[in-house]
Amino acid sequence: MSSPAASLAIDAREVAKTFRSGWFRPRTTEALRGVTLEVPRGAIVGLLGPNGAGKTTFLSILATLLIPDRGSARVLGLDVVRDSLALRRRLNMASGRPSFLWSLRVAEIVAFYGRLYGLSGSVLRARVDRLIEEYELTPYRRVPYSELSTGLKQRVALAKSLVNDPELLFLDEPTLGLDPDVSVRVRAHIAALRRERGMTIVLTTHYMREAEELCDDVAFIKAGRILDAGTPDELKRRIGLGDVIALRLEPTAPAWLATAAGVLRCTTNDGWTECPTCSVGCRPRA
Amino acid sequence: MSWRADALAVWAVVVRNALMASRNVFFFFELLFWPIVGVLSIGLMTRFLGLTPAQTSFVLIGTIALSVVNVCQLEVAYAVLMDVWAKSIKHQFLAPIGIRHLTIGSWLVGMVRGVALFTLLAVLAWWAFGFRVFAAGGGPVAVFLIGCFLNAWIVGVFVCALITLFGNRAEAFAWASVNLVLVLAGIYYPVSVLPPPAAAIARAIPLTYFLDAYRAHFGFTSEFAAPIATGLGLSVVYAALAHLAFYSCVQRARRTGLLLKMSE
Repeated sequence: MSSPAASLAIDAREVAKTFRSGWFRPRTTEALRGVTLEVPRGAIVGLLGPNGAGKTTFLSILATLLIPDRGSARVLGLDVVRDSLALRRRLNMASGRPSFLWSLRVAEIVAFYGRLYGLSGSVLRARVDRLIEEYELTPYRRVPYSELSTGLKQRVALAKSLVNDPELLFLDEPTLGLDPDVSVRVRAHIAALRRERGMTIVLTTHYMREAEELCDDVAFIKAGRILDAGTPDELKRRIGLGDVIALRLEPTAPAWLATAAGVLRCTTNDGWTECPTCSVGCRPRA
Repeated sequence: MSWRADALAVWAVVVRNALMASRNVFFFFELLFWPIVGVLSIGLMTRFLGLTPAQTSFVLIGTIALSVVNVCQLEVAYAVLMDVWAKSIKHQFLAPIGIRHLTIGSWLVGMVRGVALFTLLAVLAWWAFGFRVFAAGGGPVAVFLIGCFLNAWIVGVFVCALITLFGNRAEAFAWASVNLVLVLAGIYYPVSVLPPPAAAIARAIPLTYFLDAYRAHFGFTSEFAAPIATGLGLSVVYAALAHLAFYSCVQRARRTGLLLKMSE
């Protein structure tokens, strides 16, 4: 029987990080103030929060790109500081603002990172071909990275992030700046990764809708702290996040509107009534 | 890490650097334009000053060595610089590789470029000024080139360390560092003409010894007792120190967040 810790992909305890910058006039920024998070294997977990909340910092610590000041983090059973090299073989990362060497072509980028992860020969060729096909990049495989659109760059980043067939994938704002239709396709790809490969995925996002669509659990992070965590609907209900419907009602909004099914609360300002909502099955606060 | 995984990681860097080099007109200038201009202008100056053939060979050996070191060390610095320019550096430090894979892979490409450049400049120096670089024989040429490449490796790795310590601001070191070697390592003059403090620094630079050993084959009296052994010994020590510095700077960049700031 496996221990509870073994069933966790991520077990982070009181992780703290402060950035210090400036040689002559040192400045400090407290990015994380003791973040604790558990992610079960095979789950998709979202880190939701505004800019500067600490989402990317936390993700980067878990991905071994940053060293925490305090606290501990075990990822796939390995310590992120002591076992970083062994851990890097088993995870990967893609971000919503991807950037790769500009004159390398799509297939060359994926192959370069494949070699860094120890792939070679026919195995490497097959992996590159499969990923390029999966992410509909076949017409672009010989196109330099600098000539790709934002959406295509995003797909290259996703293809690269899967080149080592990772057990754990970090996605930093994977749909940032994408057209809505491209975002839908990227989200479909992410959902398929868990469905088809059983991959554990941790993603950061600004968008509740994205978290709601993809994630089993969401942690709301702000000013370096996790303020709340739970299923997307639980979180929406507790902290009042959700799609907002703005109505102009005359003379005033009826009292029953704030307690209607799917409505979290209503506030009236300047003649407009704004009501954050949650999806079907999410009950309003009593 | 297994030998096979080590070799693959090094090969990945070799392929990447070679592809980038083949597609950038800037690299072409580095390889051909500036070194050719350097040899021609210095060679013509020796003619204008009426230097003897021996003096001309002294100066041209230094000029060729400087070009070879410069091209090779820039290639080593590209191990980090190209990713800094492209803002993609975090991806290579996310992969399960060590800094040795980056520095050895880019050094191998640098050596190929260095050999090509050396051959080209040797032909140019023979054609334009009648100076036969290969007259010393295959062995001394090989030792001389190994010395140049070791120096280039050391300088390039130190540049990588500075870039990961200071970020983009430090990229000027990639082009400036070789000029320090120019002043101190006896490129155009014997180190004995340097003022004592500068001569002491020159004796700490491995290239000084490899130049001295190679020039001995052209009739110049060696200034040092065992120049090749001293040059190799110093190179090993500096290469280890340079890698230690690079590793420490990468770890520091992981602590300060500079690795992320230099990325997308």
